[in-house]
Amino acid sequence: MYPDFKLKLHGWTKSTEIVHLYEYAYNRTKNSERHEWSGRFLGGCMRDVAITGYAETKIDVRSGRLSYELAGDVLDELLRRFNVDKSEIDGLSVSETMSESANPFWAQYMADVLGITPSWLELMGLGGVSSIGGVARAALAIRAGMCSIAVVLASDAQSSGLTPEQGAQRHEFQYPTGLRGPVGAFGMIMRRYDHLYGLNPRALARLAVTQRGHALLNDNACPRLRKPISEEDYLSSKLVSDPLRVLDSVMVCDGANAVLMMSAKQAAKRGLKAIYPTAYAELSHYKLTEPMTEITESGFKVVGPKALRQAGLSVSDIQSFHPYDDFLIAIMLQLEHIGFCEQGKGADFVLDTDMTFKGRLPLNTGGGQISAGQPGLAGGGLNLIEAVRQMFGEGGPRQIQNIRNSMVTGIGGIPYARNWGTSAVMILEQ
Amino acid sequence: MADGVSAQRPLPKLGSYIDTKEFWEGARRGKLMLQYCTETQRFQHYPRPNSLYTGRRTIEWREASGFGTVYSWTMTRSAWPGHEARLPYICAYVDLDEKIRFLCNLVDCSETDVTIGMPVEVRWDRLSDDIVFPDFAPRRSWK
Repeated sequence: MYPDFKLKLHGWTKSTEIVHLYEYAYNRTKNSERHEWSGRFLGGCMRDVAITGYAETKIDVRSGRLSYELAGDVLDELLRRFNVDKSEIDGLSVSETMSESANPFWAQYMADVLGITPSWLELMGLGGVSSIGGVARAALAIRAGMCSIAVVLASDAQSSGLTPEQGAQRHEFQYPTGLRGPVGAFGMIMRRYDHLYGLNPRALARLAVTQRGHALLNDNACPRLRKPISEEDYLSSKLVSDPLRVLDSVMVCDGANAVLMMSAKQAAKRGLKAIYPTAYAELSHYKLTEPMTEITESGFKVVGPKALRQAGLSVSDIQSFHPYDDFLIAIMLQLEHIGFCEQGKGADFVLDTDMTFKGRLPLNTGGGQISAGQPGLAGGGLNLIEAVRQMFGEGGPRQIQNIRNSMVTGIGGIPYARNWGTSAVMILEQ
Repeated sequence: MADGVSAQRPLPKLGSYIDTKEFWEGARRGKLMLQYCTETQRFQHYPRPNSLYTGRRTIEWREASGFGTVYSWTMTRSAWPGHEARLPYICAYVDLDEKIRFLCNLVDCSETDVTIGMPVEVRWDRLSDDIVFPDFAPRRSWK
């Protein structure tokens, strides 16, 4: 596996130093310790574990179908398309849902319902981070020998089911104020951003139109959202929680998605395409002990640069960007925090950069959650699937021409009087 | 938004995750009670079982000034369930003088009055015989 990894990086000058460091450290490590050592450098340019398949249902609103059925669809697609037998799957990561998570044994039930007997079974409860977080953990589990073929599954029928209660401080200190959940919290972020830097609605309109253009080319996008919009449509859409508008937000839908993972060696043996998660960084509760921290800043200021360092890349090397998009402002904040542009300069970057699938930095080329629909807590997998699809060269009419790498992100949870709970960045490479 | 306060909102479920008696008893007496870490001399809110700063149970309850400034705010035009009759209403983050951020409603003001940095003070909304809830309003001396 190691020579293969070295070969693939050949010619990437920016990665050379990292490769040498890696080689030096790897060779100095005793065989028996290498697994442990690799775990600490999750990814870290490693190409020993790969994503070798992906599956996704169509996204729809109030589909009337439930999470188990949707999960059944994606399992069937994985088995049909990617040369693996159900009996070979011995690892399973299941994302928490809005529709079924009242069940404390959700992951265990899901494995049972799907007929899978995993030796590694994980329940991911990081909201929009659950899918890329599941990929990172599955890679560790494969490296550690806990399983050899893993499925990272997310399935949620939020628009057809009941939303469970998050509890904690909400009953006493949040609900009586009537803050409208994430919509209210992001309205606060937008207002604060406007105060500090000036919020340019034209840039948000551009993001809305770019993603909608991509959804029009995505057969899996929610049919209700597959209608063209103009920048004027965004600017005149209804205010929900000023200055946040309807077209700033996602529409909650139903849907499921999954990726298949195994060692690079297994992938080669089966003749499967392989995409490598070469970097991953995650942080929950950025600056939690600084109650007056700026809500226009986030954990992406930590995890963005950290993931890039692991991969030995700089932002200008990133060839497609698949950020978690519950709200348009979240895309702009991530561009700033990860380092694509300076803090407060997101609007200029957006207006100066072609972010269509043909452009310099393609953005959520399936439409993102905002224009393809948010399949509940499976939403974190939506943009991951699109990145993998593009890297497999299966983007169809929206295929990105040069795509050696992708950056996929996740955001999870809305806490009390901060911005969000978890920030995570994954880099995928060919 | 209408002046004054409105009882048309769901009652908080007191003590639903930890013991918050001190906060609600204080509220009934018109005192804004906050947790205070005796080791780091810092306040914290929402209430937690331990100090946010030390992880130890080095906390006591102290009365706060009830003064702060608006950090950010949003005009809610689409209601959280149970708040339909209050539409539209202002939700805000207020930075208290005790250096914590407090989620609340701004009352006794319209959206044209509100600015970030505006000094505010606590106002008490009697929701029932037993439950009084803190809102914030422009500081009287400032308005």
